Amino acid sequence: MTGAAMTGAEQASKHSYVLLHVGNRRFALRSELVEELAPPVRLHHFPNTTALIAGVIVRRGRIVPVYDVSRVLCGRESSVHRFYLVARREFGNETEASAIPVNGECELSNSELIPAQDGQAAHFMGSLDVDGEKIQVLNLEALVSPRAESAHGAANAEVRA
Amino acid sequence: MKFATADAAKPRRARASEAVILFCIANQTFAIAADAVQEIRSTDSLGGTAIEIEQAEVPKVRHLVERARRTYYVVSGCAHFGLRVTRPTLVLILRQIRAAVLVDSIERMADVATIHPLPRGFQGQERKWYRGLTYLEDRVIPVINPGGFLTVEEFARLDQAAAVSIATQQLESAVQG
Repeated sequence: MTGAAMTGAEQASKHSYVLLHVGNRRFALRSELVEELAPPVRLHHFPNTTALIAGVIVRRGRIVPVYDVSRVLCGRESSVHRFYLVARREFGNETEASAIPVNGECELSNSELIPAQDGQAAHFMGSLDVDGEKIQVLNLEALVSPRAESAHGAANAEVRA
Repeated sequence: MKFATADAAKPRRARASEAVILFCIANQTFAIAADAVQEIRSTDSLGGTAIEIEQAEVPKVRHLVERARRTYYVVSGCAHFGLRVTRPTLVLILRQIRAAVLVDSIERMADVATIHPLPRGFQGQERKWYRGLTYLEDRVIPVINPGGFLTVEEFARLDQAAAVSIATQQLESAVQG
């Protein structure tokens, strides 16, 4: 089969994925979005009203927002994270580094993507079957964008500092 | 994917720096351009001249002060940033905006070489509150946008409420006199 003849789903299945731990669950993220696994650098806080943003870290001279996605994925804030997975978010034609707190145990997988079923949360684009374990693949943009945050029930007007 | 080691902000070439005042509200440090501040006064020194505004539409403003024939609306920094209520001791009277800000303390002045734009992931009120972020001595500090303290609409509502408050005060003074 040529690349031109492949369907979108087949092309999606060709991606490799980074398997990460958030809270006590494993999730996957397309590896092409991932920039680095950063050490537990200082998290800086200041007042803001954007849901899910816990603060910022400084990486390679850039200030990178940190999204506490454990509230959405695990239903509570995670206290066990030790590292930050830095991935790219797209804003139009530009990208911006964004960080997710993880517990550091990340690995690469080339499993095939099983597309999401109807009714599955928008922040999951599908799942992988890794050694018999079903691991959900994150749609980072849907997970952290303000529209999605409202759907998660987070209060946009809440100030965090 | 790279597994990186501990990191510090990139060293930068020397650039023109900007003088800022670092101040605290509820243990949170902020920076504001020094040339955006006209005057710093203690709250005690303004106590006798502040006029209470009886309005609830802009809850973060409860008083106005007259300085050099201009009316400044006194914004509670705690209320503006949604921080826990503290006892402010100082007022920053702004230069180009008819607003003054209640703060807890002045930390010091500093020169900052770079103000980073606020990452686009920030989508809330903070886009109006901050000009950007600066990295100073291992701390990320938000740099205040003075124009973000009050909107044009809030100024209009406050002007109406202030006119009533000033008239009431003048009437009370006349009666007492």
